[in-house]
Amino acid sequence: MENAPKLTARQLNFYYGKFKALEEISITINRNQVTALIGPSGCGKSTFLRCLNRMNDLIPGTRVEGDIRLDGEDIYDSNIDVVSLRRRVGMVFQKPNPFPKTIFENVAYGLRVNGIKDKKILKDRVEKALKQSALWDEVKNRINESALGLSGGQQQRLCIARALAVEPDVLLMDEPASALDPIATQKIEDLIHELKNNFTIIIVTHSMQQAARVSDITAFFYMGKLIETGDTETLFTRPALKQTEDYITGRFG
Amino acid sequence: MERHFIKTLDDLKMTLLNMAALTQRAIEKATQAYLNRDEGLAQAVIEGDREVNNLELKVDQIALKLLALEQPMARDLRFILGTTKISNELERIADQAVNIAERTLFLCQHPPLDHIPAMDRLIEVVKSMLDTAITSFVEENTQKAIKLRQMDDIADKYTLEVLQVLIANMVQSTPATEKRIVNARRSVQTIIISRCLERAGDLATNIGEHVAFIVEAINIKHQKVDFDQS
Repeated sequence: MENAPKLTARQLNFYYGKFKALEEISITINRNQVTALIGPSGCGKSTFLRCLNRMNDLIPGTRVEGDIRLDGEDIYDSNIDVVSLRRRVGMVFQKPNPFPKTIFENVAYGLRVNGIKDKKILKDRVEKALKQSALWDEVKNRINESALGLSGGQQQRLCIARALAVEPDVLLMDEPASALDPIATQKIEDLIHELKNNFTIIIVTHSMQQAARVSDITAFFYMGKLIETGDTETLFTRPALKQTEDYITGRFG
Repeated sequence: MERHFIKTLDDLKMTLLNMAALTQRAIEKATQAYLNRDEGLAQAVIEGDREVNNLELKVDQIALKLLALEQPMARDLRFILGTTKISNELERIADQAVNIAERTLFLCQHPPLDHIPAMDRLIEVVKSMLDTAITSFVEENTQKAIKLRQMDDIADKYTLEVLQVLIANMVQSTPATEKRIVNARRSVQTIIISRCLERAGDLATNIGEHVAFIVEAINIKHQKVDFDQS
């Protein structure tokens, strides 16, 4: 199992009404690696990311063809419990979105939703998640203060802690640093390097430099198609296809 | 509107080509000075080296700026790295031209040695190698770059021939002590010239390797390449 892929997509098509947003996407995502999805706006990278924990189900008029498997299990199978799927495949969004609650309650939220009431367990899991998201030292003395008092970078790490608290296998990150300053961005990127030891991470980013810095594998999307996937170093130094080369060297269009 | 980045890349390329032209001219002049025993021309080569050095600094400066400010990727990244390496090789080739010119100034103070046909051939091969190296960069032609390795073997062969001729000359020269010493000095200086040419050929071969890296993203350094490809 250790070497088996964490996630696979096979001939995935995705429609917003009649518009085909993803076309025949096939990709294998290895466990404990960071996979970056890059491409121009509207290329389908965020749509693909949201397919991986069925977030698109929430958008009316959407339709999926093909299959996505998590540890070999079809996540679009009718027997799949979507809440349980989203616990296993957590998500962090572009803008930090803490709840107007205390720091502790923000992280404990998912645990409570999943029925955990034991105070000792809650306390341990919150502390563990805040340590994993490299925020513990900064907030341990004000854990019961409002999360809204944290800086933007801290809020984003809090959201990562909130996602980690329910102990997912996979973490989806949709431009997690695009609203942050360079120092907060660097902390998130360092954190991604740390987290891949325990999680499988898929990140959508508009910054190619960020993709190059944090990922092991990079996938280039264009107009709903997966154009090229490869080892990040190879893709950024000697891409196989001209289309990829044109995009990463800024000679597009 | 042309992108600022592309304009700066062009600037980098033009500076390198300017440097290549000056280096080629330095080798041309240095070998002419040697063949024609022309002190004035040799002196001009020595004085002209500063210009090549300045251009090397300019290439480094533009490359550093591009790396720091533009975060280049893929072919652009290889081009910038390759360009700094090529400029380094050119600067060293120009130094070989200066060395040839300095030996020539010594040789001009003494009667000429007998004509050495292998030296003429060595000069022609090395000039042709430098031309091929620069053309391979301009045309982004990897086959020409690879061909330099064959030419380098020929240059090595002529260098050895020059050495053999001059050693024989030193061994067989006149027994009169003073004349013999002068003869040995002239021969040694001429051997150094042949070594400089051989070294210039090696550096031109390196340029070809950098061109292959820029164009094909392949590293052919320290590797045997199948010449049948050409």
